[in-house]
Amino acid sequence: MLKDFFSIAFSSLRKRELRSILTMIGIFIGIAAIISLIGLGEGLRNAISSLFGDLGVDVLTVQAGGVQAGPPGTGVINPLSIDDAEKIGKIAGVKESIPRLVRSGRMEFNDKQIIAYVGSMVDGDARKEIERIANVEADTGRLLKDGDKYKVVVGGSYKNDDKFGKPINIGTRIKVEGKVFEVIGIAKKKGNPILDNVILMNEDVMREIFNDKKKVDIIAVVVKDKDEISNVKDSIEKLLRKQRDVKEGEEDFSVETPENTIKTLEDTLFAVQLFVYIIAGISLLVGGIGIMNTMYTSVVERTKDIGIMKSIGARNNNIFTIFLIESGCLGMVGGLIGILIGVGIAKSLAYIGGLILSSNLIQANFSPFLIIGSLIFSFMIGTIAGITPAIQASKLKPVDALRYAK
Amino acid sequence: MNIDYIKYSLQNLMHRKLRSWLTIISILIGITAIFALVSFGQGLRNYVDILASEMGTDKIMVIPITGLSLDENFYLTKEDFDFLKKIKGVEEGAVMYAAGAQVEFEKKKKYVFGVGMPSEGNEKRLIKDMLTIDMSKGRELKKDDKLKIVMGYNYQIPNKLFSKKINVGDKIKINDKEVDVIGFYEEVGNPSDDSQVYFTLEGFEEVFPEKKNKYQYVILKAAPGESSIELADKIKEKLRKFKGQDKGKEDFIVQSFDQVVQTFTTILDVINGILVLIALISLVVAAVNIMNTMYTSVLERTKEIGVMKAIGAKNNDILFIFVFESGVLGMIGGILGVILGYIIAKIGGLIAAANGYAILQPAFPLWLIIGCIIFAFMIGAGSGLLPAKQASSLKPVDALRYE
Repeated sequence: MLKDFFSIAFSSLRKRELRSILTMIGIFIGIAAIISLIGLGEGLRNAISSLFGDLGVDVLTVQAGGVQAGPPGTGVINPLSIDDAEKIGKIAGVKESIPRLVRSGRMEFNDKQIIAYVGSMVDGDARKEIERIANVEADTGRLLKDGDKYKVVVGGSYKNDDKFGKPINIGTRIKVEGKVFEVIGIAKKKGNPILDNVILMNEDVMREIFNDKKKVDIIAVVVKDKDEISNVKDSIEKLLRKQRDVKEGEEDFSVETPENTIKTLEDTLFAVQLFVYIIAGISLLVGGIGIMNTMYTSVVERTKDIGIMKSIGARNNNIFTIFLIESGCLGMVGGLIGILIGVGIAKSLAYIGGLILSSNLIQANFSPFLIIGSLIFSFMIGTIAGITPAIQASKLKPVDALRYAK
Repeated sequence: MNIDYIKYSLQNLMHRKLRSWLTIISILIGITAIFALVSFGQGLRNYVDILASEMGTDKIMVIPITGLSLDENFYLTKEDFDFLKKIKGVEEGAVMYAAGAQVEFEKKKKYVFGVGMPSEGNEKRLIKDMLTIDMSKGRELKKDDKLKIVMGYNYQIPNKLFSKKINVGDKIKINDKEVDVIGFYEEVGNPSDDSQVYFTLEGFEEVFPEKKNKYQYVILKAAPGESSIELADKIKEKLRKFKGQDKGKEDFIVQSFDQVVQTFTTILDVINGILVLIALISLVVAAVNIMNTMYTSVLERTKEIGVMKAIGAKNNDILFIFVFESGVLGMIGGILGVILGYIIAKIGGLIAAANGYAILQPAFPLWLIIGCIIFAFMIGAGSGLLPAKQASSLKPVDALRYE
């Protein structure tokens, strides 16, 4: 029985080929737009999460309160100090407490100057930890080690970069804040514009060139046991409250878990994405209206057919099902084509974007959830749009329908 | 004769009311989205234009190369400023400080931008020209107001920054120094500016002693008749030499307000353009819908077309009837879309204002309204063209025979 319904639906769709195709175009444009936008958006979100996800779940970041305008540590009122970092290091459950400096500095090479972020690396065992947290790996050359004075590791984007008109290589001498440094390593490009453009040097030499003895811009705290992270967070907060003489609720510093840091970023990104999806989703709504329109026309055209079917025993239910299958098919086939086109568009956009930015930050990402979801969604749009026309068809009185003249 | 065609077209649309409405709705939705989006973009542009004209195009801004960040490593000094003022073509100048400030009220702390600005003479007037905000309560800062501050609009509203509102005469702490609140500015319309606190230059130096003579902004006014863009280039060159920096290695940026406004407008246009492009997708779908409706219409009226042709209608007449019909569908959709878009944009503007973004207000220039309606008409007529061509080229005999 159901098989017959399907074949009736298909043959009537095929009979009105042009109209069916136009209706489906309406749906597949919308689905293609949504699929490609979501695919790219999800890819971007994954990229960002993975960039920051490398922070690891066992790291807390401590910053002094302030208006952040520029690198961490700018615009703070009461900065953190080396002393704070040392005291945090003594808290039970803390594996390493790593003070870091991040500053903007003048970098010169080949008679050109840019302003770049300069980040400090700490001596000793903590160096390995900070390399892991900051996700630094050597692409060419080596990373810094204790005692490397006037030596720097530069971010991945300095490799083959024409910012200076001449490539930076291992052994190249650059100037940072007027002092000459030797490049001993170039980091692997990670797709994070901040990390890829940073200049890393050891803390002592950084303090020397920036003429800063005690201030700390950000403290990365690695905990021994990641399940204890919230306890450690409480202990750090308690310690700093005492250090800085503030009461609970009046803190002028923040201790954040990595999730927190990513969350703010993700929330903003999500809001922007949602807005774009809604605008793109409008076209699906329009496509749905197109289906409804086609179905109403179809009902009117087939009034006589419906009359005949009813007079030879078709129930209201049967008629309803036939029309619903028809509109559902319009939606689903449209959705299927839309998914294919959307995936194609997103993949090629990501490819072009990758070529232009020469980074793999833009990736199209299609979860099975997205594919299946949009297929179901387009089917639903089809059926929902078909409901009222199908009801109209099913309620026709056989006699009137038979009498109906074209 | 054309009147008859028009009547005939309209009658047909009325006859297939449901189908016409559905088609109209589909184009209406797209036009609504585009109209609302563009009206916001336009509103922002208007805001920028007004700001630019109030500030005047004769202003030039000198800032550290790190832009408006609070980076301690980059700033302009008193010597720089004195030098800049003496450059030929510069009529007058003023400086501003900026730093992160910790505002403490009723034991709660907030971190905002603290700004130090001149409180007397020409310098005060110049900065006032640039800020373009009036006082909403209290009085302005004047000379010798050392530990007195004017605050942004949002402090007067409970639960915006602090749970209780701050009044003129209240004492609050900034960076642990007690200061008197003597006034509030009007609303700027974005949360960051509306939360700033303002000092006199002297007051700022008192509260942020480490920032003394490290300016974040220098504003210069070009003498009458000077082109600010050319002057900006000259200033860049001179200041570079004064600071002993090589070409391309400046640690400051010189920009005329003209340039700033242009950059900002370009960014705005790009964002708006992308959004409109995405919204256009729905219009493409709507166009397909119209085409569909019109093909159906042609099919249904094959016999009529045959009759019309048989009694002397020309191909062109038939073409006109169908194109006009679909154009009307588009135009009605356009008109309704503009109305709906207007309502939505207005509501959106109210929501934005309620959330502290009063600068995000839609504007409805005439060209936008008329443009949207014409555009909708063209989409309608354009997508009706193919079906109309089909209708007009039907052979009368075949058409009459059609069942």
